[in-house]
Amino acid sequence: MSDARAAPERADPVGKRRLPGPGDNALVRGVGRLPAKVHTKLLIAFVGTAVLVVAVGLLGLRVLGESNDRVGRLGALQERAFAYGKLQSQISDVRLLLTENPGQDFFDVNPGWVPTGRELNDIAIDQAVANALTRIPPATLVDRLGFVPPAEDRSVLRRIRAKIGQLSAVMREILEPANRRAPAEQQRRLRNRAHQVAIDLNRLATVLVNSTTAKTDDLIAQNASSYESSRNLFIGVAVGAIILALLLGFVLSWSVIGPIQRIDSRLAAIASGDFSGHVDVDNRDELGALGANVNRMNDELSRLYRELETTSRHKSEFLANMSHELRTPLNSIIGFSQVLRERMFGELNEKQEEYLDDILSSAHHLLSLINDVLDLSKVEAGQVELEVAPFSLRDALESGVVMVRERATIDGVQVALRADPDVDLVEGDERRIRQVIFNLLSNAVKFTPAGGAVDVSAAQVNGEVRVSVADTGPGLAPEDHERIFEEFQQTGAGVEQREGTGLGLALSKRLVELHGGRIWVDSELGKGSTFVFTLPARSSSNGR
Amino acid sequence: MAGEQVLIVEDNEKSMKLFRDVLTAKGYRTLEATTGGRAVELATEHGPDLVLMDVRLPDTDGVEALSRLRANERTASIPVLALTAQAMQGDHERFLATGFDGYISKPVDVLEFIGTVRKHCDGRDR
Repeated sequence: MSDARAAPERADPVGKRRLPGPGDNALVRGVGRLPAKVHTKLLIAFVGTAVLVVAVGLLGLRVLGESNDRVGRLGALQERAFAYGKLQSQISDVRLLLTENPGQDFFDVNPGWVPTGRELNDIAIDQAVANALTRIPPATLVDRLGFVPPAEDRSVLRRIRAKIGQLSAVMREILEPANRRAPAEQQRRLRNRAHQVAIDLNRLATVLVNSTTAKTDDLIAQNASSYESSRNLFIGVAVGAIILALLLGFVLSWSVIGPIQRIDSRLAAIASGDFSGHVDVDNRDELGALGANVNRMNDELSRLYRELETTSRHKSEFLANMSHELRTPLNSIIGFSQVLRERMFGELNEKQEEYLDDILSSAHHLLSLINDVLDLSKVEAGQVELEVAPFSLRDALESGVVMVRERATIDGVQVALRADPDVDLVEGDERRIRQVIFNLLSNAVKFTPAGGAVDVSAAQVNGEVRVSVADTGPGLAPEDHERIFEEFQQTGAGVEQREGTGLGLALSKRLVELHGGRIWVDSELGKGSTFVFTLPARSSSNGR
Repeated sequence: MAGEQVLIVEDNEKSMKLFRDVLTAKGYRTLEATTGGRAVELATEHGPDLVLMDVRLPDTDGVEALSRLRANERTASIPVLALTAQAMQGDHERFLATGFDGYISKPVDVLEFIGTVRKHCDGRDR
């Protein structure tokens, strides 16, 4: 219980609460939790959709088939109706002809009346009746229909055939010459019989026609209602299939997209240094594995980050301790040597003084080495924070020149400063820039032979401030141009001088680059060297 | 000129010996403490003219000892110079901002050291 409650909190790191999206739907998550590969799930979804399409198609075909069937039956019914109609009309003809004989209905209505003088006419009509009857040959009735009538029709047709047979027999009797001369009463009885049979025939034909008509009407009505229900079924199934396919697509795509979005936002948080959260992907497929790996990566990065912080703090403490521990013994070495050198406690002989000078110069060399190493370590550890403020580059250059002038004068080297009037205020860490200037100047003086010159100049070039220190020293071979900016990479001349730490230029390069500037040397062997460094010009007015 | 009393607070035996000998040779009287706590006691007791305070000390560090001296009326006006081998960038400014009257970095230049001490003692006399 508490786990289920804790899970969403883990998923959403502090300050980056994600709105619940379709990916958080219970059904979507349920599909994600199915233990199958994404590939399998996609395959099932596509096959499922295809099956739905096929099912809708099959249903449509069935509906069409049924419709076609009904049209066929309707056609058969109409054929029957036509045949029966023709039969009825032939029977009707016979009956009409029989009625034409005045003896018939007349005798029915007036039984006492005896006809006179119309015998010839009667014979002609009777003959016509017999002829009409031959047009309905009872024996071939079924074959002539051209179709197989249903069982109930067949019994009626059988009775019609029987009646036609009866009528023919009666008509033959009427037309028998012997009978023509029979008494009127007998003839009337025969005609009466014939007429009775004709009425029965007509009734039977009407039954046939009416039943067929009723069946046709039934079928038409059935057809209409069948069409409606088939159409509704088809629309229902098609709509259902579409909804099902859409649902399938929705659920499946969000069961993939949801985790990807969650993983993405977690990765973004990790990229911005937030290791506090875990991504919550409960999929049991590739995405679940991905989520688990992201979480593992998060934990590992978090651990490394903490380790790095600890290491960095330790390094920082180590540097401070080193600085302290290395300087403390130097304090005694330099201090006591100076006390002796200043003769505070008595005179020195020449050798003693010389040795004390050696101790002092070595100790100072060691000190500058320590300072440079510590500075460089701090820069490399990223622990140098520039105290950036506008300062006068001109003043910094002037004080640099002042610092080396004594040594230059002793060595017989001319030092000149020429700064363009538009170079004055620059932005940077004044102490660090002074350190760079002093390093370049003292190098230049150190490597310039007596009678040579060191020219310092500053100018604005292409929106940056450019400081050059040119000397008339031995110059540098091309292969040394890059190398001298690396740690402990002095030139042959530098090594011979036994001066400097081999760290000054490396440190200067780091410091200039920290300011966003560049440093390089233009030099040729035997033609002196010009060290140049640049600083980005102040963004606003530069003091002029 | 001399005769002023200087309290040296330094935990390194040899550095202590150097400062003591130099100052004595220049005619100063010295008091010695190897811990911040002892320094505060001696300063309160003797009211020296100047305190040379090592910053990194075994118990109470120099910054803490300084604030205790400043908090005490008897010792509040005694000039205190930071004396330290922590010569990393920004240390100088940081120590002055903490309330030290001056800053001498180790290893010291003996002549500069004497000059700085003299300046602060004289400044106090006048």
